[in-house]
Amino acid sequence: MRSLSRAAAVIVVQLTLLAAMPAAGHHGWSGNAGEISVTGELVTALSLAGPHGTMQVRDAEGRVWDITLAPAPRTHRAGLREDTIPTGAQVTVEGERNADAARHEIKVRRVTHGDRHYDVYPPPRG
Amino acid sequence: MYELLVWLEESMVGGALRGAGVWAYGWLNLVHILGIATLFGSVLVLDLRLLGLFRDSSIEAIARPTVPLAALGFAVAATSGAAMITVNASEYAGNPYLYVKLPAILVGLLNVVVVQRLAAWRHALAGAPLEPGERRALAFAGGCSLLIWLTVVGCGRMIGYW
Repeated sequence: MRSLSRAAAVIVVQLTLLAAMPAAGHHGWSGNAGEISVTGELVTALSLAGPHGTMQVRDAEGRVWDITLAPAPRTHRAGLREDTIPTGAQVTVEGERNADAARHEIKVRRVTHGDRHYDVYPPPRG
Repeated sequence: MYELLVWLEESMVGGALRGAGVWAYGWLNLVHILGIATLFGSVLVLDLRLLGLFRDSSIEAIARPTVPLAALGFAVAATSGAAMITVNASEYAGNPYLYVKLPAILVGLLNVVVVQRLAAWRHALAGAPLEPGERRALAFAGGCSLLIWLTVVGCGRMIGYW
């Protein structure tokens, strides 16, 4: 019985920790703050593995931005394949910046390469 | 932990899954959910019985289908879950929900081992009448189990929101 009580104590602590954690966004747009547009060089090509498409863009100041796109099938449907945009190409990404100002992460709505737009998510409302 | 995650990501499984097409992660997610549904559904029914509900059915009668189904669901969920981590393991470094979920799974398995060793559990499975103390012990174990697996499923769901 003692090991059972210990297990129960562990769970109570865990649930308390869980309740104390701030709600953060990765899904949805709640963890993002402010529209942003970044133009730069594609340094890491699009990956369609995992829960979301990802790529990296280096801006004129040399900052590398982590770009989060839609889930792979949706990104794919927007016209983006892993080899659609070659690394080294100039791209513009528009979307919302991560609410954590220390992180250079953008959840994008639109990727522009040359004269082609890829609308991963619809434009903001209003 | 970070080294372990990088190793997982660079493993053959991770590489194969990343190259398996845009729907691969979605399929994996589906299998994971089916595993969780099987595991948690079985656990819920059995634990509620241990807590004293559904007394029309004996613990033995309820344990017979739910215990093997829970084991099957756990195997499916654990395998698909491990595979999902390998796809982009290093992303999960520092994710507090994962760091609560994994030890909670170990606590859940420990709870299974403890329950299987309880005389009360063996008596129940043999269809023997239970002493009030035995009934209380099983109810406590069932309550613990329910809390543990709720923690596991809850944290698992929140991993992606961090």
